[in-house]
Amino acid sequence: MKKQWWYVALPVAVAVGATLAASATLAQPVDTARIEAAGQNDWLTYHGSYKSYHYSPLSQINTGNVGNLSVAWIHIPGRSTRGLQSMPLVADGVLYYTGSYSRVFALNGATGEVIWSYFPELDEALIARQTHSPYNRGAALGEGKVFVGTMDGRLFALDMKTGKVMWDTKLIDSQKLTVGFTGAPLYAKGTVIIGAQGGEWPGRGPIFGVDAATGKKKWEFLTVAGTEEAMKTWGGDSWRTGGGGGWMPGTYDSETNTVWWGTANPAPLYDWSGSDYKTQGARPGDNLHTTSVIGLDIDTGKLKFYHQELPHDAWDFDSSVGEFVMLERDGEKLVVHPNKSGYIFVYDRSARVKNVWRITENSNFVKNIDPKTGELIGRRDFTAGKVDEPLCPHISGGVSFNSGSYNPKTGLYYKLGQEWCMTLTVVKTTPVTVPQAQLNLGADFKIAPPPGGEIYGHLDARDPVTGAKKWEVRFPEPPLASVLSTAGNLVFVPDSRGVIHAYDAETGTELWKHNNGTGHQGGIVSYAVGGKQYIAVTAGFGGMASDDYAPTFGGVYKSMPRDDGALIVFSLK
Amino acid sequence: MKLDLDVMTLLPAVLAASLLCGMPASTQPATTAPDNAAFDANQLFATMCGLCHSDGGRAAGKGPQLMDSSRNDDFLRSRIKDGKAGAMPAYGSTFSDAQIDAFITYIRSLKPREG
Repeated sequence: MKKQWWYVALPVAVAVGATLAASATLAQPVDTARIEAAGQNDWLTYHGSYKSYHYSPLSQINTGNVGNLSVAWIHIPGRSTRGLQSMPLVADGVLYYTGSYSRVFALNGATGEVIWSYFPELDEALIARQTHSPYNRGAALGEGKVFVGTMDGRLFALDMKTGKVMWDTKLIDSQKLTVGFTGAPLYAKGTVIIGAQGGEWPGRGPIFGVDAATGKKKWEFLTVAGTEEAMKTWGGDSWRTGGGGGWMPGTYDSETNTVWWGTANPAPLYDWSGSDYKTQGARPGDNLHTTSVIGLDIDTGKLKFYHQELPHDAWDFDSSVGEFVMLERDGEKLVVHPNKSGYIFVYDRSARVKNVWRITENSNFVKNIDPKTGELIGRRDFTAGKVDEPLCPHISGGVSFNSGSYNPKTGLYYKLGQEWCMTLTVVKTTPVTVPQAQLNLGADFKIAPPPGGEIYGHLDARDPVTGAKKWEVRFPEPPLASVLSTAGNLVFVPDSRGVIHAYDAETGTELWKHNNGTGHQGGIVSYAVGGKQYIAVTAGFGGMASDDYAPTFGGVYKSMPRDDGALIVFSLK
Repeated sequence: MKLDLDVMTLLPAVLAASLLCGMPASTQPATTAPDNAAFDANQLFATMCGLCHSDGGRAAGKGPQLMDSSRNDDFLRSRIKDGKAGAMPAYGSTFSDAQIDAFITYIRSLKPREG
């Protein structure tokens, strides 16, 4: 850990430092109420705030001046194996972000100067045996601490001001389960919540609640057969190796004291049950609570409600991805959540389905999902052997793990869709759990274009509740990063080739673009320091979806590094 | 025989056998103590490797195409055992040398799919 004490000791020496120090002195601690309030200068959770909008109310950068946007500063985290995938956080003018291997940085948000950094010592031999590794997707803030998970199964807390380790808690036995934590935690009401990786891994996908003050585990919820009801939905012993996981962060509803979280798919990914999936195949039954949105009591971890978006998911279209947009429509409080398949679910605040709509053009794993009930209609359940018609979307999903953005000013939801498919041959497999758990896929497969067309991606501006589309912008390769919208009537899309675009939020007209030199697949935020607005985006390609780009698209992806990355921050000239 | 979770702690004596048995799902018959001759590299490839090596290793994906690879056996053996940081997991502590050789045999046998 490196510290720069001059910043703390000599704030009067530097004007910006003085401003930051003053704001830090006067600032309220980051707590549940402050996150709930979502102050315009900050970005306090992975999803921005508990509302999960990925929206900034700042408007200094707007449609009239975005052409003057230029690079303010850059930070290189180093050792960006498989790129840079995290979502920066900002509080009181300090930007916190993570890189691969759970490296943590606290930077002066105005200048990029390093205030402190922390590189945890990790079990590198274990990480060398992992597949979905060593990237990290972000941190949480609360009670004066920065919370970060590790690939070797730990959650640690650092002092926000100094980077000093406050506690470091081992939560899962990664030597046995292989997986660890890549997703950002969530802080709320004295508890840090984090979910393990695990969709295609033969475990039980725990989600943990940890005391923010002490690091002591408060509760653990097993996403596979975690209740008596759920146990009945796994034939025989299949629950022991069911997968699950909750590998991306959810959000918190203070009105109901509930943590909303999405869970991963079951293992193996592809089952050979055929249509008799309730009684046949690798994991007979609905496989609760995989591929579900669940509501947990934040104090106890007890399940309060759930909706299984895809019962017996046989396609790896899990529910861990994406945001939980909390909005009101006609007096009703709703939650909008994308499923990896590209279907967008609209719930009430108890996860009762209010509507379902689809963002992708190419989708055939089901014929449809009933918008009134959420029931799958015309599902495709495979038997062992070659599948005749390509499966759409591709395993990388109709949407990526990254987040869309809801702009309360325009009332529009800006979300990226991905149009691609895959050929596959389903193979009966047996889970491997010793000496370490291994992936359990259940198929050989290959990326393929949609029938009669080409692979592409698109940014849609839609009504979040009805799905009605206002405009669309297409990309030759699916963008994989998160989207940001702002009160400046702008939508920012960092694309896979390395170009960040700014669009008019009302029309989709491109107003500005800048080449960051390498592909994007992480977060983007906006914040203000000393009255000046900034846009911060992570660049750096590599990982489970982007590793397919070089062989699939060639071009710039052939030479694009998969072990590099940078945090790039923009402001007006 | 069906294994329960406790079996996972009884290793490494039954390690090679368990690689195939693991934690069987209810409808999958468990295999008792398979020797290396029973090591089904084709099945294991679809279990663990197909996420990166597309179409069973027949096409380039996240990982390289393995069918018709110009790499020699020593290179393949080394790569499977030691991996490559950020690209290929290391399986040297998971599989025996004989089992890794079975994977190489599988790779060398790959042919384009018919039809």
